[in-house]
Parts: sequence; C-alpha cells; structure tokens
Amino acid sequence: MIQGLKMPGRPPHLPEFLNPPVSEVAIGVQFRPPLGYQQIRAGEVWNLYRSDYPNAEEQSPLPPAFETFGPPRSQSQPPINFVSGATHDRFWFISESGAELIQFQDDRLMHNWREMGLPDNPYPRFEQMIAKFEAELTELGRYIKGLAPQDLQINQCEVTYINTIKVDELPDSRPSTWLRGLEMPTGAVEDFQYVFRRTIRDAKGHPSGRLTCEAVSAHTRDLEPVIRLTITARGAPPSSKISDAITYLKQGRDLIVLGFVEFTTDAAQAHWGRVK
Amino acid sequence: MNAYFPQSTGSVFNLGLHTGFMLARRVVQRPEFQWHDAAVEQLNELVALERGWDGYQAGPVRFDTASFALQMLESSCSEDTPCPQIVPGSDGDLQIEWHFAGGDIEVHVRGPLQVSAWSCINGAEQELELTNDFTVLAQWISSIAVPQVAAATAA
Repeated sequence: MIQGLKMPGRPPHLPEFLNPPVSEVAIGVQFRPPLGYQQIRAGEVWNLYRSDYPNAEEQSPLPPAFETFGPPRSQSQPPINFVSGATHDRFWFISESGAELIQFQDDRLMHNWREMGLPDNPYPRFEQMIAKFEAELTELGRYIKGLAPQDLQINQCEVTYINTIKVDELPDSRPSTWLRGLEMPTGAVEDFQYVFRRTIRDAKGHPSGRLTCEAVSAHTRDLEPVIRLTITARGAPPSSKISDAITYLKQGRDLIVLGFVEFTTDAAQAHWGRVK
Repeated sequence: MNAYFPQSTGSVFNLGLHTGFMLARRVVQRPEFQWHDAAVEQLNELVALERGWDGYQAGPVRFDTASFALQMLESSCSEDTPCPQIVPGSDGDLQIEWHFAGGDIEVHVRGPLQVSAWSCINGAEQELELTNDFTVLAQWISSIAVPQVAAATAA
C-alpha cells in the first residue's frame, strides 16, 4: 500500500503525506507505581510482550514529568533535578528488527517506532501503533490487577513525533525553506534552535497539557545537514482509565499533525507529498 | 556543504550536548531560586523516611508525589518566593505551608493531580481542589509572601 493513503481509522480531517520526514514516534503514558510491584518482577512484565519483543536492554529511568500551569514565567527558572528515593530501571523490550520497542519502568509504558535507516521499515502509521499500544497497556493493566486489586492510575499521556528534515533535498535550502517564521532578511544563519509551547485545553477550556515544538539545526553521522523537528503533546487525560488515555493520545496526535502543517512551509509539504 | 548550514555543529544523535548554544549564552545575573534548593532538600529527606517514622506504620512520601509537588512549586513560585515548610503525611502524601503576618497557605498534595489548597488572607478563608493549574495558588503566595531578598535585607 502506498504510505499515507487510505489508512483505516485515520481521521478524515487530518492532512496526509506520501513521504513524511518522520524518523521516530513515541506513544506513552505515565501512571502511579502499582501496589505490589517491585523491580524484581520486571521479567514478568517482559514475558507479557516477549514473543514480539525478544530482546531487552536496561536504561536509566525517566523522572516523573507533569504538565502544570501557573502564571507565565521566563525560561530562566532552574531545571528540576530532583532525584532521590528508590528508583526503577527503564527497560527496553525490542522487536527482532529493532524498529519497534516497548519502554517500561514502574510508572511508564511507551511504544516507539524508529526509522533507523533500516530497509523495508516504513512508518507503520499512528493507527497501527495506537492499536498495538492499547493492547499492550491493557495487558499491563491486567497484570498489575493480579498483584493487588487495582487499576492503572494513569496521570499523563504523551505523543512525540521526531522529524528529521534533510536540508539538501531542496536546492538552495535555508531554514525558512522548511519552517515558517524563520525568514531572516539580512542573510543566512549559521545554526538555530527554537522551542515554543502551546496550551492544550479540555472541553471546558481548562488547561490539560501542552503542545511543545522544538526545532534545531543538526547533522547526521555523514555530516548531512538536517533540521530536527520534534513535536510533543503531553498532558493529563480526563480520567485515569485506559480508554480515556487512548482518546487523549489520539487527540494529541491530531494536534501534532495539525501543528506540523502549521509550522512547515507549503514548499516543504509539497516535497513530502502532501495529498490532502 | 550547504551555504545556509555552513558550520552546523549539532548532532542529530546527541542533541543539546554539542550544539554550541550554551557557549553562546553569557549569563551576567543568574536569578536566585532559593526556595528550589531548600525544597529539594526537604523533599529528598521526606522520600527517604524510614517506615514507621511517625511511631506507627507510615511510609515515606511517595516519589511521584514529591516530584509532582516540586513541579507544582515551580508553577506557582517566583524567584524570590520564600521556601515553604514541607511536612510528610502518613499515607505517602505531603503538606506544603507558608505562614506570614498577612496570612497562611496550606497545600495538601495527596498525589499527582490531587491537591487541596487552603488560605486565610486578611481573615478571609478560601479552600479549593486543584489538579494541574496553580494560578490561584501563585496569586495567594504573591499576595502574602514577603520576598526572600527583601526579608534578608531587612534582617
């Protein structure tokens, strides 16, 4: 099937691209550490997914992260580096090809797809990824219910799209060739980095999360110039239920796709084969 | 070499570490967030409490609750906010308190997104349930807190 066309379940209002520059996608939730779970049980969790993810790696844990709101602040506040108490490693359960992985720690479950330059590894599309993730999350919920009478207490959802834009794919390229708002009348820039955030509001207008867009000039190992455009939607679902988390993740993905169209230029979108 | 990206020093595989942007930043006056370090120190002690610290069976403050509380403080405190008192609860929860001549604020963090806030300012009491928006808490703090720098100067 041609990528980006006739994807079952794709919302009809979303733009589509034949060759989007997406290089990694992560879907995940954060929850309260379940009662009765300890790191020594991590192998039991791996067994839930092991048939499709036969390889494992240990990683440093991700700290708890919450989108909270208050008066507007400058960016000069100190970073939060609160690290203490018992910690749980983060485990990667990796598919045979390496393209897909589950990240698990005692308060997180994530599903990643990564492009990795692998042959025959097209972006599987969000609809397929979210269906897998829902099944994986449901399986984890069933597992922790076996430890104690409890459900997953999901408190944050997160979707991240990382796009690697190869600058030289268009002639005489500059940042403003690809991204809106970067036109510099007086000449080229050597490199750049920008980040901005936008509040995500619930149906009542209350802040529930943020859409964060980060763009930075970089290069690959082969010194090929690229722009790395990372768009993340993160926030609190309306309840701790899995069904509400999945709905929130889908809404977050919609915001990311619409944001991607807003942040990138028409010429760039034509290059990536925008069909809708 | 692309003319518009002549010396792009970043690496797509190691973003933020070698981009050179930090070198370009010349900070001449770093704001002091005294509450931050003091709050972290208190929270670190609370998550390390031994079970039974209260003489009964209370455990330490839960790590996610402490982390959430710190992010709540970041959203509600300015750089000169005095550090609050932070006391543990018996159920992995915690309470954050400011007491000034102009009023009192007490914030009970039961867990992430589960916050009860109470204030008594100029004799008027208010009580609210909060989740992720701490704008009101910031307003309370601003209305009664004596800035730490000014307090230190006065002392």
